[in-house]
Amino acid sequence: MEKTNTPTGETLYRKDLPNGLTCFILPKPQFLRTYGVLSTHYGSLDSRFRVPGGEVRNVPSGIAHFLEHKLFEEEDGNVFGRFATWGASVNAFTSYTQTSYLFSTTENWQECLALLMDFVNSPYLTRDNVEKEKGIIIQELQMYADHPSHRIHTLLLENLYHEHPVRLDIGGTVDSVEEITVDDLHRCYNTFYQPGNMALAVVGDVDPIKTLQLIEENYPDWEQEKGVIERFFPEEPHEVKGSWVEEQLPISQPRYLLGFKHEPIWQGEDLLRQQIIMAIGMRLIAGRSSLSYGELYEADLITDSFGASFNAEPGFSYSVIGSETRDPDALHAQLTKIIDRLKTSKVSSSDVERLQRQLYGAHLASFESFEYTANRLISHYFRGTPYNNYLDLLQSVTPEEVQKALAEQLDWDRSTISILRPVKTND
Amino acid sequence: MKFTQRELGKGVRLHLCETDKFKSLTCKVFIRQDLEAKDATSAALLPLLLRRGSQKFPSTLHIARELENLYAAEFGADILKIGEQQILELYLQMVDPSLVPQGEKLLDRGLRAFWEIFTEPQGPGDRFLDAYFEQEKNTLEQDLKGLVNDKPFYALARFVALMCAQEPFGIYKSGDLGNLKHLENKEVYEHYETLMGEHPTDIFCVGPNLEDVASLFASLIPKRAHTIELREPKKVQVNEERFFEETMDLNQAIVVMGYRTNCSYRDNDYYALLVGNGILGGFAHSKLFMNVREKASLAYSVGSHIEGSKGLLTITAGITDDQQEKALAIIGDQVTACQAGQISPDELEQTKRGLISAMISLGDSPAGIIDRNLIGVVEGEMRTIDQVVEAIRRVEHDDCVRVMERIQLDTTYLLRPGNTENTRDEEGEHHGEN
Repeated sequence: MEKTNTPTGETLYRKDLPNGLTCFILPKPQFLRTYGVLSTHYGSLDSRFRVPGGEVRNVPSGIAHFLEHKLFEEEDGNVFGRFATWGASVNAFTSYTQTSYLFSTTENWQECLALLMDFVNSPYLTRDNVEKEKGIIIQELQMYADHPSHRIHTLLLENLYHEHPVRLDIGGTVDSVEEITVDDLHRCYNTFYQPGNMALAVVGDVDPIKTLQLIEENYPDWEQEKGVIERFFPEEPHEVKGSWVEEQLPISQPRYLLGFKHEPIWQGEDLLRQQIIMAIGMRLIAGRSSLSYGELYEADLITDSFGASFNAEPGFSYSVIGSETRDPDALHAQLTKIIDRLKTSKVSSSDVERLQRQLYGAHLASFESFEYTANRLISHYFRGTPYNNYLDLLQSVTPEEVQKALAEQLDWDRSTISILRPVKTND
Repeated sequence: MKFTQRELGKGVRLHLCETDKFKSLTCKVFIRQDLEAKDATSAALLPLLLRRGSQKFPSTLHIARELENLYAAEFGADILKIGEQQILELYLQMVDPSLVPQGEKLLDRGLRAFWEIFTEPQGPGDRFLDAYFEQEKNTLEQDLKGLVNDKPFYALARFVALMCAQEPFGIYKSGDLGNLKHLENKEVYEHYETLMGEHPTDIFCVGPNLEDVASLFASLIPKRAHTIELREPKKVQVNEERFFEETMDLNQAIVVMGYRTNCSYRDNDYYALLVGNGILGGFAHSKLFMNVREKASLAYSVGSHIEGSKGLLTITAGITDDQQEKALAIIGDQVTACQAGQISPDELEQTKRGLISAMISLGDSPAGIIDRNLIGVVEGEMRTIDQVVEAIRRVEHDDCVRVMERIQLDTTYLLRPGNTENTRDEEGEHHGEN
């Protein structure tokens, strides 16, 4: 068992089991709740893949999310009631790259952990229950389609990318969901839910040795596919697909989102470093402490919703900057000047030092959240980024690196803009 | 996680929960007033104005840079509504100074900055800076108009405004556009000074070394001689069921059903009501989730919620438009089943355990430890986590049935796909559409 200290003075335990499962345990003395999460390194992006000795498979989009819904079902009902018997809550979520099942409880956490491992490893899929789930999932897709911030992000990704599946909704489309069969679900399940492709994290007032023992004794045997999964992604052109898109929705004022496509060249520590550099860069553009925020707010071109973020996985990378605004065109013109100014002027060391302090404090504070801590341990493990070096990396970032990243990454030739405008009404 | 109380003057209470469990210090200040349309709108400007700048930190940029220097401290202000009271919340969260390089002086610096920013706003002394006032009036106007952007939230706000049109509870927590239009800088500033100086104030702190925090607050807060008394929520009888329908350019229909519970926080059956609501729609094992979603596949999101001070039970669901009659019928059947005593021992036990677990879990987060007391503050009777857990444990089948029999459907509201209508109550007058 491998032990590391967290910056908040706690001890993190890690062990890779013989079946391939990676386990993280973070004891939290005095806390009353226990949180457990079991994740597979399988998300909405994985729709073309091969296992050793097999053929390349193509499946409809939305299967990872569909499986997330279905694994709660059992032959005689669903597992919600069983968790509820222990006063526990259970949930799940799917991202581009992973699917996670989780519970939170103040009693019977051992039983909850055993049940988590059991239900995720016991799919019950029938033609009827798969057909029935389509209605629920389509309602979910429609709920998101009515959500302006989700909608504008989707439009942006559809224009940044020609081929890469990041351009598709995590849940798929109404058509792709309709197309999904029991066989598709089984095929993906058998490939991606093998223990070697999964990780488990437990956070709470638990004994690490006993917890590991419980996991080893209760983790079900795996008879299906084994071995390294090859994932295939379509060739993605360098350029963006479209440079400008607009749509109308019933909203109170327009929304503007600017996106930059980057080359996904970073792996491991380089990727984490790039994330830190760009986090600082994005704060220089859109942080409350930036000159640009004040300028744009005084000019009534942005609202509190103004923000910027850098998003990267080993297979794709992009940045977005956006806000609700009374005038998207004027905001675009001003923001263009601000970004060009930042790209060419010198990044000040006092700004970078101040933002390093901010990120330092935020990193410490983040350990207060069980959910965030556990999910982050797993996502960094899947991504191969060394998260326990975060503070060292943070403190080693230089103003020159931030300057260089802004100048290189915010490339207007690889940018696109999405705008939502209020629906014109008759009154 | 118990609080000890001390008075810092008439109507100003300090609640301290000393603990080394968290790696942070959290303080929240709650200042309460009766919910009234004009005052609500005026108070809703304060969180926006106070973040713009103080005497010492004259702009948002100066405040933001101080917070970054304080290792990601968070200061903020917000507006809450519980029953028929509106609450101005001021909060501070800081990382435990002992964890960061050269952290010794951080606590004092942070607390002083927090208090200065919220009590010494930028301006000439008798009003806020005129430019800030006009900009933040515009921001609040956009926020109020922006309610429409989040459809489930918008549906709920419209529903409350319609159902409680004749009661203070019908007022949105941030007021309305009609009142906003006429608000002047000086009157908002005077209202701000009255709130800070004369309204009931509760300060909650969770973290280590609270004696230092307490003495600093005691030195910063002026002693006062009197505090304004607030009133009780209005009780309303249901005369007839009402139905409202509006349309908007949407993919999904949203239904909201409101019941008067005739039972609230200080009622003996209050915890039975929480259990009854949990059985109906508070959990993934609840009747609404199992029947509307899992069996009939009519919704992705469906559930029910209790407002414990006013005494309302609200059911919400996002459904396919052409299935609304079926959905409404299934929802109604679940309420009837609870009232008819069709509650299995499993349902009762799972719900009680779920509520108890959620209650105990609050003790794991500083904000949870603090916020759960708000209803007790409003209702004048604070209860500990242990008291609440015990009260839930005692609830039995017949208690749930008895309390669910008391609930009465008042209003059903449906937001359907169609042409977007101009349904907003632009001038803030209450419609009496029933």
